[in-house]
Amino acid sequence: MVPASPPIAAQSTGRGAGARRRRLKGVARRLGARIVAALVMIWAVATLTFFLVHALPGNPVQVQYETLISHGVPPAQALKETRIIYGFVSHEPVVSQYGSYLWQLIHLNLGKSISYSGVSVSHLVLSAAPWTVILVLSGVLVSFLLGVLAGAVAAVRRTSKLGDLLSVSGSLLHGIPQFVMAVLLAYVFTTLLPVFPFGAPYNITVTPGWNLGYIGSLVTHAVLPVFAYALSSYGGWMLSMKSSVVSVLGDDFVLAAELRGLKPLTQLRYVARNALLPLFTVLALSIGFMFGGSIFIEDVFDYPGLGHLLLASISARDYPLMSGTFLLITVAVILSNLLADLLYTLIDPRVRGQAS
Amino acid sequence: MRRRPSRAAHLGSGAGDTEEFEGLRVRGLTIVYGTEAGELAAVRQVDLDLQAGTITGLVGESGSGKSTLALAMLNAVPSPGRITAGSVTMSGIGDITRLRGRALREVRGGVLGYVFQASQNSLNPLKRVGAQLLDLARSHGVPQPRLILGEAQRLCERMGLDATRVLSSYQHELSGGMRQRVGIVFALVLNAKVLILDEPTTALDMLSQAAVLQVVREIHAERRLATVVITHDIAVVAEMADRVVVTYAGRIVESGATGDVLRHAAHPYTRALLRSIPRISGDISAAEPLPGRPPDLASIPTVGCVFRARCPLALPICSEVDPATVSVGPGHATACHLAAGPLAVPERTEEVAG
Ligand SMILES: Nc1ncnc2c1ncn2[C@@H]1O[C@H](COP(=O)(O)OP(=O)(O)O)[C@@H](O)[C@H]1O
Ligand code: SF4
Ligand SMILES: [Mg+2]
Repeated sequence: MVPASPPIAAQSTGRGAGARRRRLKGVARRLGARIVAALVMIWAVATLTFFLVHALPGNPVQVQYETLISHGVPPAQALKETRIIYGFVSHEPVVSQYGSYLWQLIHLNLGKSISYSGVSVSHLVLSAAPWTVILVLSGVLVSFLLGVLAGAVAAVRRTSKLGDLLSVSGSLLHGIPQFVMAVLLAYVFTTLLPVFPFGAPYNITVTPGWNLGYIGSLVTHAVLPVFAYALSSYGGWMLSMKSSVVSVLGDDFVLAAELRGLKPLTQLRYVARNALLPLFTVLALSIGFMFGGSIFIEDVFDYPGLGHLLLASISARDYPLMSGTFLLITVAVILSNLLADLLYTLIDPRVRGQAS
Repeated sequence: MRRRPSRAAHLGSGAGDTEEFEGLRVRGLTIVYGTEAGELAAVRQVDLDLQAGTITGLVGESGSGKSTLALAMLNAVPSPGRITAGSVTMSGIGDITRLRGRALREVRGGVLGYVFQASQNSLNPLKRVGAQLLDLARSHGVPQPRLILGEAQRLCERMGLDATRVLSSYQHELSGGMRQRVGIVFALVLNAKVLILDEPTTALDMLSQAAVLQVVREIHAERRLATVVITHDIAVVAEMADRVVVTYAGRIVESGATGDVLRHAAHPYTRALLRSIPRISGDISAAEPLPGRPPDLASIPTVGCVFRARCPLALPICSEVDPATVSVGPGHATACHLAAGPLAVPERTEEVAG
């Protein structure tokens, strides 16, 4: 006797709305708290950078000022130029130096580079950032897809040869540092079997724009660094996904779904969603790890991103560029953490319901 | 063996084999688990009838194979377990142990409603209850899936739940007792013919327990279900069941109408079980705990009576010969050597006199 009554379902939204509003409030509050935390963190890193540059042996700001003086620049002019480069001058009391540094920072003015004399740091950093972001995000995507698929298969087939093989692949790759992975890939695929080009993000003979030559060149140049990122993260994804799937498969609700005769596809969706959920906490870590790794990987592939810029600024003792790049990398990591956290909140109703 | 053929009986079966049977019929069911010590039987040679209109209470200590038996009714014994012999026949459908794929899936949930032991967490934590009911309806090809929500709502309300709230809730927003009731709603919402409740009251306090069982009994009667209540708590059985089936170490040792089994328990294990609970009349100090430990799979004897290690009346024959199943009254049977022959030692002297 299938119920013949009118669909009462329509009413269910009525009283459910209160709960939904409560949940949304929870999300908003959590999001707000996270944004505040992110801003505080960015401020802390900026402050740290300021005092670090300040405390560096030989005080680079002072040195810059004195160099200018010794080149015969009048003191007023020298002061002005130093302020342009660093955003502050070391003659002033530390508090007002710090104040003017933050003031410049709020206006996204990171000072001027020394090694690329006269070019503003913001310009240098912002033109390097997209290359890093593209590589890192592609690396995350590729490693996530490969790792999650392999992990799921390894979990379901954990008693078979294939499962063992996948697990071993995960543990092995997990153990290889990014730098070694990058050198290995570069050696094998540009020297031993030169199938991929090396260096700059695209071939200088093609004109940038929406043409096939340019895009193709971009892709072939990106393949190796992206895989260096991806393979160094694959193991982590694979192993986390495997253990997550194994644990979800043992959950009561999975057996219940089977005993209720749910369609195999529905059962699969139940398992997949629950198994993927904990990986979002790994996502934040993984993105941070990759931005950090950009220092090595971009160096190996001579790829002009933020990591490359940071290394270059360090070896040139270009302190304004160094602190600007460092700050931007940090901001990128903090923002991606924020994003991962937000995603997690949107997906998990248990977190959504909580107040903070 | 001094068994008289005329007294031979199917343990657990209420109706004669010749009648038109409506319900779920288990015959000769043996289920083994693969362990390091080889394949060990958790359920052995079980015959059981779950007849439409009858509530059967399946009672026994924890570890006696009740859940394994219940899962086998849905052909869902989890690996490393498997059914090695016997059949589970549903009237109008056939042997469920032979079903595969889509046919099996449709029987599960559609014909056999199962409320399992851990129904505390029987829902997908990431989906609202209502959405999961729709998944259930779609999986079973209900023509208008949304209609199922109306039916679920009525069932929820009968169970004393705020239906609208429950359907728009996630599992973590419901209490243990609410989850248990939602589990029952899921089992009934597709109009299953057989209702299997595995330890239905473990998460509930005494009051909600009584209320929920009352509603289950009403719906059972309205729909003429074949209901089986699995429990280690013989008091629940006394309250609910029309028939009682007592299991020990994977075998059925006694079965019969509830009144007969409770008043004239024929098997020493049943008597010990009854003595181990405080009488309804109250005196808790009168309860004697069951001596000894329930066997684990490896220590269940394969020859002779499985209860003999704990049986106060065991005879030499008990460790050599499997006790045959004999009738000790109308629809009342037991597997014990004492019940089978003239050696029988009656439990109470007045019964001999009377
Ligand atoms: N997956 C398994 N592997 C091995 N042995 C099991 C497994 N599941 C249950 N058993 C054993 O089977 C016996 C019966 O268990 P179960 O059916 O859960 O009993 P009950 O429901 O009566 O408590 C127990 O001895 C238990 O240890
Ligand atoms: S058969 Fe023997 S050991 Fe088993 S219950 Fe009867 S008397 Fe006890
Ligand atoms: Mg059990």
